Amino acid sequence: MMDVATKSLTGQGIALSFGGIEVLKGLDVEFRAGEITGLIGPNGAGKTSLFNCLTGAYHPQKGAISYAGHSLEGLPPAARAQKGIVRSFQHVALSPDLTVLENVMIGVARNYHSGWLHAFLPTVRGRHEKAEMRADAERALAELGLAKAADKMPSELPPGMLRLVEIARAIVGRPAVLMLDEPAAGLNNSETRDLMRSLSALASPDLVMVVVEHDMDLVMSICDRIYVLNFGAFVACGTPAEVRSNEEVVRIYLGSDDD
Amino acid sequence: MSDHPVTIKAVHPPLPERLRELVASDLGSYVLAVVLIVLPLLVSGSWMFAIGVCFANAIGVLAVSFLVRYGGEVSIGHAFFAAVGAYSVAILDTRFGLSLLVSVPLALVLGVVTGVAFAWPSRKLSGIYLAVSTMALALAVPELINNTDALTGGYEGLYVSKPLIPGLPMSFQRYYVALAVLIAVVFALARFRHSRQGLTILLSKAHPAAADAFGTRQVWARCAVLGISGGIAALCGAMLAFAGSTVSPSGFTLWSSIFLLVGSVVSFYGLTLARALIGGAFLTLVPQFLSASGAWIPVFYGLALLGMILLGHYLPRLKEMMARHGGTA
Amino acid sequence: MNDVLRDLFPLAWSGMITGCLYALGAMGLVMIFKSSRVVNFSHGNVAGFAAFLIYGFSSGVLLDLSWGAAVLLTIVAVVAIACLTYAVIAPLVFDSDLTATIATLGIGLIAQGATLLIFGADIVSLDLPIPRFSTSVLGLRITGYDLTVLGVAIVTIGALFFVIDYTKLGIAFRAISENSFAAEVCGLNLRSIHLFSWVVAAVLGVVGALLIVPTTFLSVTTVAAFMLQAFAAAVIGGFASLPGSLIGGILIGVLMNLFTFYVSPQFSSTFLLCIILLALNIFPNGILARVGGSRV
Repeated sequence: MMDVATKSLTGQGIALSFGGIEVLKGLDVEFRAGEITGLIGPNGAGKTSLFNCLTGAYHPQKGAISYAGHSLEGLPPAARAQKGIVRSFQHVALSPDLTVLENVMIGVARNYHSGWLHAFLPTVRGRHEKAEMRADAERALAELGLAKAADKMPSELPPGMLRLVEIARAIVGRPAVLMLDEPAAGLNNSETRDLMRSLSALASPDLVMVVVEHDMDLVMSICDRIYVLNFGAFVACGTPAEVRSNEEVVRIYLGSDDD
Repeated sequence: MSDHPVTIKAVHPPLPERLRELVASDLGSYVLAVVLIVLPLLVSGSWMFAIGVCFANAIGVLAVSFLVRYGGEVSIGHAFFAAVGAYSVAILDTRFGLSLLVSVPLALVLGVVTGVAFAWPSRKLSGIYLAVSTMALALAVPELINNTDALTGGYEGLYVSKPLIPGLPMSFQRYYVALAVLIAVVFALARFRHSRQGLTILLSKAHPAAADAFGTRQVWARCAVLGISGGIAALCGAMLAFAGSTVSPSGFTLWSSIFLLVGSVVSFYGLTLARALIGGAFLTLVPQFLSASGAWIPVFYGLALLGMILLGHYLPRLKEMMARHGGTA
Repeated sequence: MNDVLRDLFPLAWSGMITGCLYALGAMGLVMIFKSSRVVNFSHGNVAGFAAFLIYGFSSGVLLDLSWGAAVLLTIVAVVAIACLTYAVIAPLVFDSDLTATIATLGIGLIAQGATLLIFGADIVSLDLPIPRFSTSVLGLRITGYDLTVLGVAIVTIGALFFVIDYTKLGIAFRAISENSFAAEVCGLNLRSIHLFSWVVAAVLGVVGALLIVPTTFLSVTTVAAFMLQAFAAAVIGGFASLPGSLIGGILIGVLMNLFTFYVSPQFSSTFLLCIILLALNIFPNGILARVGGSRV
């Protein structure tokens, strides 16, 4: 049994710049398994850039990123996904040609490996695999209260529900690291509450969960630890209570909301 | 370029229509298949030959439509892959005396391999850039065939005569083998739509970054789509050789590629048996009827292509207008 | 060594001359692409049709006009075809550039069929009133044809750049090719600029087609085949740069000449395919694109 503490996603000295503009200034960060970690900061602080470095969309010029002690350097997003590092998208990225259920089934695709023959012919293994993927997807949809939408096309659902489908797709494959990019954007209050409940229920000792979010209520109530980012550097890090009482944070982040 | 996923509007009808279509096509496909199986009892030999070639062309139309549906890309170079399949069959037949049992699988494999081999250098291209490079692909075909005439028979082509099952009349074999391959391709594509690979490829078409984040690299999706499409096109070529009995470079020009695209557009990029047959029939029967004046063929195809595109453009708008009218009245 | 040089210079020279013509064709493609994001696959067929019209108008097949009048009448006809084409395609352009591109294939098919219907599939010879002389400069044989092509190309391209740089229409064209949305917001009429580029492209196509004919015969496929080199030239230039397509045209002209002479005349289309794929991969935005300025 692996020690729980080693199963974390860590970044050391992550530095990223675009054409001479420093976006991330050597960040040290640790996202621990069993915790929900929030990543907040004003617009343009570098949250999304850090997020993209962790998922492999960007490759930082300096620094190291590793999961459970294994370096992720140079791995593209697809290879990180194979290691169970999965993200949701801020802008809903579902296929309009597929039903909601089929879209969610893609989230488990990486756990199955039947060959091309099974894709074209009605083989027993292929059918079995599809049934399993379907069952997984149905379960994930049910967890988020979307069971009824399973056979609808994405174009028939309101934006809030599409966002939940997006999250269902991220969690269905039982990820080791789950990174959510503004999961509550576009959700109404009751949907946000449902989402918070589901996310809290999802937390498990083996799961690293990272949430980038604007909704302070959500972050404060579900996160165990919060990193506050401004101008590409961390301003504060700690429990919600610590962050809330940090004067610097109140000034640069929460204060700016009142302007 | 990835910011501009190429969409072809007529492809996504609304759900109720899709459901109806699905039911109709599934049932329709079976009925149609039965009709086609008994058809040779009713028609004359020359018609049987023409319909056999029509099946072959329908497979080619499916290859182009598959690329549109799953890759969002348009090809005007599929005659290249068809030529690969056709010459696999013709060369194995005339030079080595091997029947379809060997040559069709070989054609399929070579089609997939050349599809992937083309996908790799063009992996970063999309939309019109890819279309231009497929055009270049099609242009290279006739001269490649003509200049390897020791193998391909050059300008004069090759005659395919070896039966699949010795003893049975060749005319029936030409018809039924082409039909069997067409039905097999339609069946396989219907399975593929619900397969794991099919789902991820469709996501990759709409949102490459999202597919990437779930373990499907865009390059892989592109290679897979072009490989499958190339394989189907090679089967088309193999059947053109067998059902049409001759292969020559004039059958695999840039125009042949464009005609395949015309067939695909005319069938609204459908992957069902009926849609494929519409495209195939268009490619086979129009020249048949216009054979007296060959010059009318390109004019007719051009008009049909424009007509279908404009129909696809205006029909949804017209429907919308009528619906709004109906709603207020 | 001397032998190589003796062959190389004339090959490069004649390659450059035909390259200028490829460039004229390519610039037409690029004009249309820059303004409306459509690849005009009918370009070669329409230009071929035009060459046949000149033949028809001047030889007595259709009319028996003087050469100049035939060219003028043809240009009028081609401009009319361009307007008609754009009228058909215009509604699609704003919908999906790929659909509009497929539609141009339909136009090309019709032009091809019309040529066949009116003039048949035979090869005809079209003579141009080009001064027939040749001199030798430093061992290089320069003919009246070469100088005519060079002169016409320089005048045409010069006029085009002047129009684009200094006239109101040209400035609007540049604005639209940079950012069509912003240009429209600023009150520019997209359709009239599109039409401008289609008409200019058609005229460029006629000039190119007319000048390429003396090097070969005129048949249904001659000009269409010539336009393929123009496509390659446009691709090398990045498909959105007029100076790029000029360089691309000359490069293609020289490279094709060298390839057919030194390697093989039979695989020229395959060579073209390789050039196109290579160019698209190494310089996806054309040889003139600034390093690091890739659009992602």
